[in-house]
Amino acid sequence: MKFNADRKWLERRAEQEDRHLISVGGLISSLDPNCEAEMNTVPKIESTKTAFVRLLQLARRERRLTLERLAEKADVDLAELLKIETDEAFTPSLRTVHQLAAFLDLPAKKLMVLAGLLRVKDPNLQQASVRFAARSEPIGSVSPEEHAALEEYVKFLNER
Amino acid sequence: MNPKRTMTLNLTDQEMSVLEELSTQKDLSKTALLRQALRLYQMVDSRISRGEKLFFEDSEKQKAELMVL
Amino acid sequence: MREAVHILDCQTGQLAEAEIFDEIGLEHFIETQATWRPLVLEAARGLAANPQQAMLIPRHFHWDWTRKEAELKLLAVKFFGISCAGQLQGIMKIDTVARSCRLPEQQGKPLVYIDYVETAPWNIKLLMEPIGKPQRYRGVGSRLFEAAVLQSEEEGFKGRLGLHSLPGSESFYIKECGMTPVGRDPHKQNLLWCEFTPEQARRYMAGE
Repeated sequence: MKFNADRKWLERRAEQEDRHLISVGGLISSLDPNCEAEMNTVPKIESTKTAFVRLLQLARRERRLTLERLAEKADVDLAELLKIETDEAFTPSLRTVHQLAAFLDLPAKKLMVLAGLLRVKDPNLQQASVRFAARSEPIGSVSPEEHAALEEYVKFLNER
Repeated sequence: MNPKRTMTLNLTDQEMSVLEELSTQKDLSKTALLRQALRLYQMVDSRISRGEKLFFEDSEKQKAELMVL
Repeated sequence: MREAVHILDCQTGQLAEAEIFDEIGLEHFIETQATWRPLVLEAARGLAANPQQAMLIPRHFHWDWTRKEAELKLLAVKFFGISCAGQLQGIMKIDTVARSCRLPEQQGKPLVYIDYVETAPWNIKLLMEPIGKPQRYRGVGSRLFEAAVLQSEEEGFKGRLGLHSLPGSESFYIKECGMTPVGRDPHKQNLLWCEFTPEQARRYMAGE
């Protein structure tokens, strides 16, 4: 790749760039000016949200269910399930989380906190969630390590 | 640049004809076109393996699923 | 791929030696989250103070680690990073199969789609000024954009590029870079689809 070595070219491009926010997607986005709440709670939501998604994925894979089958069995909207798994910023509906909790035999209130529907200051939950998310993988068959991680996390959620 | 390896491809007359036609249409060399085809195949396969589905939608908004293995 | 490029050092006013590379790993993304995010949020609060600037407030970036990892293995996706002084200064993701040309004169032809390009917040003048912090480097985003054009040429796409411009950047891509605004994309939050023809790319690279 041969980049332009002309300093004047660079100066001109830099000057143009300085006058705008040119990031496409990413951290800089001017789509939502009302994200004050998001800005303040973002770090907390992240770890538990990831754990929520991973929990769902692992639980689904343990039962060898496709998204479609899970949607059918849990009586939830397939499109919403897909969004949960692929869009980290997406917050599922109260009913969906409730249905999933029932089907997967998990404490509903806990699941709602994880999904971002309820705000609770719980550093233990966060820590456990980060550990769980780090120990699990989104695709493929469930490994013994993942199985152990899932069991441990579910036990933790049910205990308190 | 990544080092490249050479491969010989045996294609039928019909396959070669399609390859040439698509190359012209897309303004690509035959190699570049096949490279695109490989990328597309891998991308589609990867998403289907994750449980997603691929659909075509006709002009009347009717969806038909495309099964790619 | 590793190429030496120059960017501009704001402190000295001189050229700074940087490097553009395409071997991006998960650790690079982790770096952006750890080092960029806090400053972006701080800058966002700075911008919120000015109602006119409020529309530029950054939104929570949707980090989906699972997708990023899977995408790192795809041939169609390519990440570029630019580093200087041992730190990541910008990152870009392009896709060679996700989209194709929509301009009638090149309809259906392949292009390099800039899925996202992001400069470290300390390099963005509009973010740093309101919070009274110094801008470190200039021209980072432009170098990444240039890399996208060069990649398009290497692919045989002749410089054809496409991207969805955010509302605040439309005039940058149309007036300064010379891209053609094709139309708003209802499947992408009505963002403006902008495209480069080979001639426009050539003019951009030549500085015309």
